[in-house]
Amino acid sequence: MTTIDRRTFLGAAGLSAAAALLGEGALRSARADKPINFSGWVFKPDTVKDYVDFFNRKHGGQVKYDAVPWATYHPTMETRAMAGEIVDVMYCNSANRERWADNGLIRPLDDLPGMDELKKKMAPGNLEAARSRDGSKVVGLPYFTSIFILMYNEPMLQQAGIKAPARTWDELMEHSAKLKRDKISDTPYLPNWNNSGSGTMPQFLSDCHSEGANIFDAKNKVIADQEPGAARAMERWQKAYKDGLVNPEVLTKTSSTDTHRLFWTGRYAYHTNHSYYLKTIAGEPENSKLAPKKARMAMYPGNGQTHMFTEWYTINAKTKVLEDAWKFARFLGGNLNGDWYVQRQWCLIAGLDNAYPEMYDNPEIIQSYDRWVDLKLLREQYKKGRPINAFKEPWFSEYDSKAIAIVHNIIRGTSTVPKGLKELTALQKSLA
Amino acid sequence: MAWLFVGPALLGIGLVVVFPLVYSLWLSFTDVNLLRSTGPAVELWGMRIPLFRWIGARNYTQVLTDPLYWDSLWRTLYFVGAFVIEATLVGFGVALVLNERFPGRPLMRSLLLVPWSLSRIVVGLLWIGILDFEFGALNGLLLRAGLVDGAIAFFKEGWTALNVLVSVYMWNQAPFATLLFLAGMQSISEDLYAAAEVDGAGYWRRLWYVTVPALRPIVFLVLVLATVNGFLMLDLIYVLTMGGPAYDTTTVSWHGFKTSFTFFKFGPGTAILYTLTALCLLLTVVYHKLVLARFEAEG
Repeated sequence: MTTIDRRTFLGAAGLSAAAALLGEGALRSARADKPINFSGWVFKPDTVKDYVDFFNRKHGGQVKYDAVPWATYHPTMETRAMAGEIVDVMYCNSANRERWADNGLIRPLDDLPGMDELKKKMAPGNLEAARSRDGSKVVGLPYFTSIFILMYNEPMLQQAGIKAPARTWDELMEHSAKLKRDKISDTPYLPNWNNSGSGTMPQFLSDCHSEGANIFDAKNKVIADQEPGAARAMERWQKAYKDGLVNPEVLTKTSSTDTHRLFWTGRYAYHTNHSYYLKTIAGEPENSKLAPKKARMAMYPGNGQTHMFTEWYTINAKTKVLEDAWKFARFLGGNLNGDWYVQRQWCLIAGLDNAYPEMYDNPEIIQSYDRWVDLKLLREQYKKGRPINAFKEPWFSEYDSKAIAIVHNIIRGTSTVPKGLKELTALQKSLA
Repeated sequence: MAWLFVGPALLGIGLVVVFPLVYSLWLSFTDVNLLRSTGPAVELWGMRIPLFRWIGARNYTQVLTDPLYWDSLWRTLYFVGAFVIEATLVGFGVALVLNERFPGRPLMRSLLLVPWSLSRIVVGLLWIGILDFEFGALNGLLLRAGLVDGAIAFFKEGWTALNVLVSVYMWNQAPFATLLFLAGMQSISEDLYAAAEVDGAGYWRRLWYVTVPALRPIVFLVLVLATVNGFLMLDLIYVLTMGGPAYDTTTVSWHGFKTSFTFFKFGPGTAILYTLTALCLLLTVVYHKLVLARFEAEG
């Protein structure tokens, strides 16, 4: 029998401990020193978790991810900051980003390695949106961007003998009236007039832009009451509502997601909403009666311009792991992996529009988009996407929310168009 | 020794009830910016709790001079009034039925709790499924039965949307009132009913002169709970209308929520919600005077 004396035992134990330490050391060299806290609002959290795991595996990260419900996401992040918690990388929507920058919650990114290269790759409109109010700093990397588009129900138009989708708003109203008159559809037009921040007001801006109207002047003051295009858009909305061409309950839908699902039923001829919703409408036969590709996209009527906005990844100004946080932020909002991994995922999985034009040269993305949209047309529409700078003003978030009630009153005819547009201007003045 | 036993409970109550109440009341008198908490602060177990800048009653003045607040308040009073009456009457009526003996009563009593046990988000989604203009089951039934020519848009007009909210909330909350009434009814001595019967009292007289007086403490409890719940109701609005169309279903609690969590104005937001607290306290006193005080004096 082999015996182990005290010296042998201590020696073996020492060797084991050294090996364990070395092993740990070797492992640690490949991993980040400290965890990176990452928070986002709830949107496909399993997808996010998957790419966080991918990052942790492939890039040696220690990212801890938590998802917060959308409704309380921004206040929750602020409360956590107030309590001294540092969330290193955070989602931030456009309406709150400037306030976070102004109050020192997030940091500029210009001084970080690789940022100049990303700026060159970003579409000009998105880069402009990424800059702070004074234009001096970039304060976020794009999570996704969105444009409003016009979708139409091709079989329904064919049934009505309408050969091509509407090119003008007048045509859209005529088509809708005909479809109602012929009893093909009770409510042929489904505008995104829902009561959330992604509904009525982006739709309002899109339609005003398509009529050539400026809602904000160069100093970001609301000038809706001076714009004939805005009045034209509102008169059309009033008429559509009064003539029963739209679903009368769309004003109380609680999200753009709920609104777009109505189009799945195939009972509407036209729908205006964020472009990515066409992916479920035309690309998910298990959900939508208009898939595959019975719903199509047409250029936005009028001059074709629509509202465009971008949501962001930001870095906490107090992060103690700046190098790792930036690495992770570049993985999310840039091209750390060399293949635009996360940006590409969002295009493939959710059809989210992207701030980097070269994404659309990717064969996998071209093939994927081909299942639900005419990508060339979508890119044409993207070129006509018009961002606003007013979202960077401290009053914008409150204005954008309170304006919904004013616009709803115009739609329902409880306020006249000139009075309503004046109220929009007065609202902004009262908040500025 | 007594303090040793009650101490942990008092500490718990202090932390989870008293401190948040006092702190939120304090916030309603301050200029709150969660991201710029540079003023004085309290340290609690290493956590910094900022006190923000005291601005006196400015938040309350701002809130009380806002026409939207008053519009929301009148709407809230209507909502609470309609809800309290509906929930109390329906709860009482169902309790009377379930207090009688009939086959299947245990099953009925169990089923009764289902609406109350559902999360209000689920309740909201369920009623969207029933009432929606496009795919609602009720519209489908009415159309197929030929009772209507076209689908009814329950959420088109603010007034109908508000009344739908009242009814849906009643559907969710009335079972709890039933439960309380039923417990109260079962504690009434059978001798009282027997004596009333001997005196020639019929069903309605027994109900009015025996059941109702004996249930006064329960009525008080139901009224207070329904009132408080009615004032604070928020989640159904979130799921069903988001306060719209326009502001037509915006109540004070929704207005306070939006002010705090959408506009990040936590000072005015807490001020709005503290006016609700004051109203609840006031109505509790009124209910006490109307329902309970006389009963206690009689007792």
